[in-house]
Amino acid sequence: MPMGHTATAEAGSGGLTATEHRLANGLRVVLSEDHLTPVAAVCLWYDVGSRHEVKGRTGLAHLFEHLMFQGSKQVHGNGHFELVQGAGGSLNGTTSFERTNYFETMPTHQLELALWLEADRMGSLLSALDEESMENQRDVVKNERRQRYDNVPYGTAFEKLTALSYPEGHPYHHTPIGSMADLDAATLEDAREFFRTYYAPNNAVLSVVGDIDPEETLRWVEKYFGSIPSHDGKQPPRDGSLPERIGKELREVVEEEVPARALMAAYRLPEDGTRASDAADLALTVLGSGESSRLYNRLVRRDRTAVTAGFGLLRLAGAPSLGWLDVKTSGDVEVPVIEAAVDEELARFAAEGPTPEEMERAQAQLEREWLDRLGTVAGRADELCRYAVLFGDPQLALTAVQRVLDITADEVQEVAKARLRPDNRAVLVYEPTAPEDAADEEDEETAK
Amino acid sequence: MTEAATMQFHPQPQAGTARPWAFPAPERGALGNGLTVLRCDRPGQQLVAVEVHLDAPLDAEPKGLDGVATIMARAFSEGTDKHSAEEFAAELDRCGATLDAHADHPGVRVSLEVPVSRLPKALGLLADALRAPAFADSEVERLVRNRLDEIPHEAANPARRAAKELSKELFPASSRMSRPRQGTEETVSAIDSAAVRAFYERHVRPATATAVVVGDLTGIDLDAVLADTLGAWTGGTAEPRPVPPVTADDRGRVVIVDRPGAVQTQLLIGRVGPDRHDRVWSAQVLGTYCLGGTLTSRLDRVLREEKGYTYGVRAFAQVLRSAPDGTGAAMLAISGSVDTPNTGAALDDLWKVLRTLAAEGLTDPERDVAVQNLVGVAPLKYETAAAVAATLADQVEQHLPDDFQAHLYRQLAQTGTVEATAAVVSAFPDDRLVTVLVGDAAQIEEPVKALGIGEVTVVTG
Repeated sequence: MPMGHTATAEAGSGGLTATEHRLANGLRVVLSEDHLTPVAAVCLWYDVGSRHEVKGRTGLAHLFEHLMFQGSKQVHGNGHFELVQGAGGSLNGTTSFERTNYFETMPTHQLELALWLEADRMGSLLSALDEESMENQRDVVKNERRQRYDNVPYGTAFEKLTALSYPEGHPYHHTPIGSMADLDAATLEDAREFFRTYYAPNNAVLSVVGDIDPEETLRWVEKYFGSIPSHDGKQPPRDGSLPERIGKELREVVEEEVPARALMAAYRLPEDGTRASDAADLALTVLGSGESSRLYNRLVRRDRTAVTAGFGLLRLAGAPSLGWLDVKTSGDVEVPVIEAAVDEELARFAAEGPTPEEMERAQAQLEREWLDRLGTVAGRADELCRYAVLFGDPQLALTAVQRVLDITADEVQEVAKARLRPDNRAVLVYEPTAPEDAADEEDEETAK
Repeated sequence: MTEAATMQFHPQPQAGTARPWAFPAPERGALGNGLTVLRCDRPGQQLVAVEVHLDAPLDAEPKGLDGVATIMARAFSEGTDKHSAEEFAAELDRCGATLDAHADHPGVRVSLEVPVSRLPKALGLLADALRAPAFADSEVERLVRNRLDEIPHEAANPARRAAKELSKELFPASSRMSRPRQGTEETVSAIDSAAVRAFYERHVRPATATAVVVGDLTGIDLDAVLADTLGAWTGGTAEPRPVPPVTADDRGRVVIVDRPGAVQTQLLIGRVGPDRHDRVWSAQVLGTYCLGGTLTSRLDRVLREEKGYTYGVRAFAQVLRSAPDGTGAAMLAISGSVDTPNTGAALDDLWKVLRTLAAEGLTDPERDVAVQNLVGVAPLKYETAAAVAATLADQVEQHLPDDFQAHLYRQLAQTGTVEATAAVVSAFPDDRLVTVLVGDAAQIEEPVKALGIGEVTVVTG
């Protein structure tokens, strides 16, 4: 087993270190010691997300994630959950555009169990996967979709804006939850094929963080994962690159039964992992994060035209990131009033750049967010996997905050000038309808 | 043919030796101004959490001014004698701090999180907010309007709407608990800066407040920092206020909040039961976990993992308000959402789970796994300073001793299957539950009536 180098703490890492290893079957392993609390986090990232899905099978990566909890050769039924929880651990899995992650946080003395469980399903899921769990989890996921998206006001905004932002056929055009029709259409054979293609040790990164003995941990990893055969059926995801700017504003008006008018927009921003993406993060923080941001001060405090106003960043590595604007209007205020104010603020920011005070605040906020993320063993394990899978180097997780602090005001202004402009956004406007109108519309749709 | 064929399997590993862990014991003290301080050093936790409990409960709000405690809590961060509202927000962000405040039945809670390097400055801002809030007319007006704008958003959210209806059903109209915590359109509209200041002057003072500070305090002279910040807050003493008893009407019945076209039904099934002062609490925690604490609990085993009716249904107990004499109460509830066509079938199954539990009780293995989880996850759950601070502050506002949580873990380990069964069956009797359903009445009313779980009424709005 080739051993990786032992990193010494780098500047800006807060004293955290991580070591890297690779098993003969291609599984990459990242270990990070921290003995403050008797807990250890196991995190496994598979390099597969909704961007790998094909037309007609949206939602398959996420549905498959559910199937990973339905048992494997030595783990029966819900055994994965039962064993981890019975050991005093917590666990889950999530699916995004670019990856699927699985994680357990365990009391230290139960770490080996989590490794055994993850290895069992990586190596033998198909021996347990059957129609019954497929049908059951299909229904569960459809109810997840209803609960989180279809049955809440503005619940499908993310899906709509993503579809507007990435053109038809683009791997990020659809979101991980998928469509009801595609969830219905997925077959057991699709799930099996998905596993055979993507769930291989050479398509995954395993991180173990916390109160661990690295040598012993590595022995366990070798013991449980080492004999899982690698396989190379995976096609690279379709190319997600797009021009830097959309070139014109894209717009959709949604008339739905929502409580207030809303203006949402997605700006096309630099890919994650670049200095420009950190600069964009700072720009969005100055403009729209928290109660001292420019948009909050303008729309909520001064104009009093909005009940909430803010920006968020959806960081993506394989396609342009999205700068996410969300404003809910106050009272009877109309959307054009909001839009004019937003455009004015963005134009002013592009022209003037951030003040030194704004840079200081934005960097302090992002630094706190990083401390928060790296402050738990589970958060650290996830970030180590993220940088290993998406950027090939887990060490980057430990120095991420320093990179944000190194960005200059000029870089922030530059990205704002180039990207935060009306011809580089997809806009979603919500206009509320009365309940009766909404019901009528729905009848029409059903009649079609 | 599967890839599994060539993998070498090993038996399930056995646990190693557990490293001892105990819920942290805080050090309790008081400042010269009467402010109680709990501190707890958590090495490695660079984000320090500060929780302040103010003895300004919702039932102290003047008649017709429901929501004034909420507006006051929000107004703490809208300017002081040193900073305007905008400046205050900017100073907080400059510290990399977050400051949240909310009002609930036991009182107002103010929560600060900040990197330890900027703790003194952030504590100074927090102290200013509590000591000398500006409550400027214009800022309070804005907060009132903002709050009014939020109300329709809450009404549109099925879970929030269900919670509002359940409170209205359970508690007598005269009780503050029957009404929305953050007020209604009518009461919020009546709030102005004078009302906020009057509430502040009457109920906010260091002598009846507690601050909890948790994090890596190595190298911090916390006494000096506190003396310079929260120590400068002044105020008189207060007479203890009588705590009204909590009464609730839990006759089994169903209220449907009509949402034509809803693809799911939000369900919230609840009643009122004992709080943490009751000897039964640990058994109730254990039994409730077995009923609906996780996706391998009884409810989800059927409703989710067998039937696929839901993404998840949970049973829980949430303390409403406690009193030193033990007369407080908790909301006991089951909540989740199920798809519209299966609403009747899902409720039928849910009631079957309750009846089977009452008839047959919990099993020993079920109890064992629950104890192992509830006790075992403690070191994970309390890894961050914020989690420790929140629990310590909860204990304070619920009039519990500082070692309550540590003691609870010992009690859980000693609670048997019979006690846990008795507690959960008594917490969720199948004929004493108020069911609120937010969903499409045209589709769910008849199937729900057919279940015989109580009279069904339909409301709109």
